[in-house]
Amino acid sequence: MFLRILKKDLKRKRTMNAILLVFVILCSMFAAASVNNIAAVTGGIEHYFNISDMPDVLVDMDADSDEDKNIAKLGGIREIKTIDQIYIYSSKYFKLHGKKLDNFINPAVLISDEDMPINYFDSDNEVIKSVKKGRFYATTTFIQGLDIKEGDEVVLTIDDFSYKLEYAGLFKGAYIQNGTTCLPFLLINSEDFDNINDGIVNPFPSYKSMFIKTDDPQAILDYAEETDGVYAYGRDYEKMIYLFDMMIAYIMMAVSIVIMLAAFVVLRFSIGFTIQEEYREIGVMKALGLSNVSIRSLYIVKYLAIAVIGAAVGFFCSLPLSSIMLGTVSKNMVLGTENGVVLGVVSSVCVVAVIMLFCYLCTRKVKKLSPIDAVRSGQTGERFKKRSLLSLGRSKLPSTGFLALNDVLSAPKQFLIITTVFTLCMLMMTIMATSAQTLKSPKLMRLFNAPESDITILDSEYMTDLLAVQGGYKTSFEKVEKVLDELGIDGECGGGFSVQSVFTHGDKTSTRIFSTAVRGNIDYELQCDEGSAPQKPDEIAMTSYAMKELDAQIGDTVKAEIGEKEYEFIITGRFSSFMGQGYSAFVSEDFDMSSALAAGITGIQVKLSGDPDEEEINEVIEKLKDKMESDKVYKTEEAVSMLTQVSDPMNAIKKLNMILTVIITALIIMLMERSFISKEKNEIALMKAVGIKSGSIILQHALRFIIVAVIACVIGSAVVLPISSALLSWVSSMIGDVHGIDVDYSAAEIFALCPAILLAVTVIGSLITAQHMRRITASDTASIE
Amino acid sequence: MNTVLQTKGLCKTYIVNKRQNNVLKNIDLTIGEGEMVAVMGPSGSGKSTLLYCVSGMDRVTSGEVTFNGKDTTKLREKELAKLRLDEMGFIFQQMYMMKNLSVLDNIILPAVKSKKNSESRRQTEERGRALMHRLGIDDVGGNDINEVSGGQLQRACIARSMINSPKMIFADEPTGALNRASSDEVMNELLSLNRDGTTVMCVTHDPKVAAKCSRVLYLVDGKIVGEKEMGSFDGGDKELRDRERTLNNWLMEQGW
Repeated sequence: MFLRILKKDLKRKRTMNAILLVFVILCSMFAAASVNNIAAVTGGIEHYFNISDMPDVLVDMDADSDEDKNIAKLGGIREIKTIDQIYIYSSKYFKLHGKKLDNFINPAVLISDEDMPINYFDSDNEVIKSVKKGRFYATTTFIQGLDIKEGDEVVLTIDDFSYKLEYAGLFKGAYIQNGTTCLPFLLINSEDFDNINDGIVNPFPSYKSMFIKTDDPQAILDYAEETDGVYAYGRDYEKMIYLFDMMIAYIMMAVSIVIMLAAFVVLRFSIGFTIQEEYREIGVMKALGLSNVSIRSLYIVKYLAIAVIGAAVGFFCSLPLSSIMLGTVSKNMVLGTENGVVLGVVSSVCVVAVIMLFCYLCTRKVKKLSPIDAVRSGQTGERFKKRSLLSLGRSKLPSTGFLALNDVLSAPKQFLIITTVFTLCMLMMTIMATSAQTLKSPKLMRLFNAPESDITILDSEYMTDLLAVQGGYKTSFEKVEKVLDELGIDGECGGGFSVQSVFTHGDKTSTRIFSTAVRGNIDYELQCDEGSAPQKPDEIAMTSYAMKELDAQIGDTVKAEIGEKEYEFIITGRFSSFMGQGYSAFVSEDFDMSSALAAGITGIQVKLSGDPDEEEINEVIEKLKDKMESDKVYKTEEAVSMLTQVSDPMNAIKKLNMILTVIITALIIMLMERSFISKEKNEIALMKAVGIKSGSIILQHALRFIIVAVIACVIGSAVVLPISSALLSWVSSMIGDVHGIDVDYSAAEIFALCPAILLAVTVIGSLITAQHMRRITASDTASIE
Repeated sequence: MNTVLQTKGLCKTYIVNKRQNNVLKNIDLTIGEGEMVAVMGPSGSGKSTLLYCVSGMDRVTSGEVTFNGKDTTKLREKELAKLRLDEMGFIFQQMYMMKNLSVLDNIILPAVKSKKNSESRRQTEERGRALMHRLGIDDVGGNDINEVSGGQLQRACIARSMINSPKMIFADEPTGALNRASSDEVMNELLSLNRDGTTVMCVTHDPKVAAKCSRVLYLVDGKIVGEKEMGSFDGGDKELRDRERTLNNWLMEQGW
């Protein structure tokens, strides 16, 4: 009997059941894909490290340092592999198809295939055993934006030295980070490595890396902290490379949760509506003596069928979605495949379980219905509620608008549910838009300890001195100022940079904290969250991470070794910074940085005089590009987007959310409106009978959704900034030590475009779906129960 | 006496499960201004279908329906809606009303929707209240529809049907869901309207209701098989009993 009732019900409420099925599919699809994504990234890192044979500690030092011998004497060490690296400080030293490369910012690192310290993998995830002579593998950072294919010849030319290498494909290594602002790596044959090393007169420093397997990693980390010029990183630190992949995975999980919420709302509405509509059947069943459990199981069986089918379809749909979501990650790491399917199945089963539990709770209303409901139209005298809230006679609204508003106010719970879903949809779009906008805002430059500017130059030729020569920032800025003078551009030049330092406070010593400074002619004032900015050479401001690392507070005195000199500083304030992953100290304008060698920079900033508009800035950028023969001159907001790395993925998620919003909103409107039409058939027929036109009734129904969408837009617009601020604080705390980030947004996008999308879908969706009521005629009053 | 409603060769056919069901067969009917016509007949004879077809709520299969000089079979849906709104009033057995509106708002809704109504919302409301007062339900205007009795609700339906001062009121078993006392009250209101000049066409099973009408039509299998002129009713109990007796005898002859 159950099956017959189920079959009849599925057929009778085709649209409602179909929409519910779509939601379960979406729910299961996104849940399975995002859980798989998170599991793949979190568990995948450990898996990748294991198959790569990653060491316990990675130690970097100058190429000519002897500290490697001292480290080798430390206890617990099982194995040491040391590699030399050649640093090529500008992309311009490479030529492809006769054209100088201009696609990466940082120095390229050449490594040899001799005695490789870890397993490197090619694009097919096969371990690279060796590299043929004359060929090279490159990381994605090296080939980004290039039209390069296997077999293409790249020529390395420095002064009179020239060396040809053939591209053999992509490679990845567990300790190598990929991204616009990361170091590109080239894996070459050992003979080629020696030839290049002997052939070039590299005026810039190179480094060597030690890959150490040890039973006592802390001993090496402690040694590095105490030793100048030695930098050690444990496995946990190396895992930070995949921070952005994790962040995106969690954001996708949040999107999945929103979809699941929407699905539950739809489910709640469907069950509530079905029970309300079937009060008579339920009453009769109760009158016949059927138990509550039997009646509830009728509904639960139906939703179990939909949930199981939906979850199964959703799981299969999650497979391609999952591979798209993991597409970027898999370029950076080798993912294990064994757990993905199992996790996907588990997630889908969880979706079914949660839906069934939810169904069980939603069918509670069955218990409340009594046989008398069958004869009292589902109402008992005691439960009648006041419905009409407005007065048509006193209202100044047009009658159709009045009826729509009155309907919304008369069933607040029902429309509140729709408002909630619409608001969530709206927020999915606007929060991502705000986050993407903020993470590329020029205002963010201050959090990279760089002055506010219009243009940022990331060309390595102009930054080489800054990175490779002690006090080289002066030369770098002078070069750019000269270009500005030659082009007759009225502007100032400056920039921020960080220097590796050793800080000591009491018995605490740290090599993790970077000393940062802003130099040049652009005015810059450090904004402190607490205390004040350093004014004198012996004053310093620190991030909370840095102070915590040293167990210091504002007012304490710390010692620092910067550029081989020792200084004493008083901490004057606490500031926020992305530099050095939040481990930063900021020195005053008067502090002598001439002997310091920069370890990190955020480019060279140019602040144009006056208040130039976008067109003028673009003109100057074009002039600079021509003169510098470089494409790496950016508007500052573009540069920030590169530095934060998450703005573009967030933009991509924003677009996905826009598509999801359109789908979810359209489906909800279809479901709800079809339900309303079915529920209000009597009233529609009556209105038609008394002579109210179909168009007017359709408009009334559409207006209900439009009112709800407008309310959702208002609520969404009111809360988008505080919620974005909270989300961005979370994101910022992962990138660095940043508190209270200023949310930047495009008012046109979040207060006009996104609401317009929601409203457009609402208007179109509701008007189209409401056309269904044309099937109800005035004569249907004769067949109303 | 001017003709308000006229049908010629009116037919209505339904196709149910590929089988043709001729509900109305060549109905010729004329209703004059100020008449109060009752339509009677056994269940399934086509009484309600006739009411829906002549009022433009349902499309006819063939034939002509002229209402107030307009051939309603040739009117478009929008024009029919306008005609129903401005020139017709409807009362149904089930006392259908909008759940989310108060009794008074339900009554004035057709007036607010009508384009021929040029008065302000406040004036319309006053008119609605006046109608309610006339029908003796002025104390329930602000109530929800589920807060009033069946008799009050049906009187509210009558008030709604009157709000646009229609030429004709169509009532489909207006007392079918009411007890005797409420039924009498409702019929007295309809009579009163009729005396004021509104034409009424009323489908009923109840000879007591039909006895108050000026003419009774008897339908069997979609055809008018009998017609009884009853003359106007002045409202006395004795006269009503006599009319009832006469009508019952006639109905017996028709096979009632």
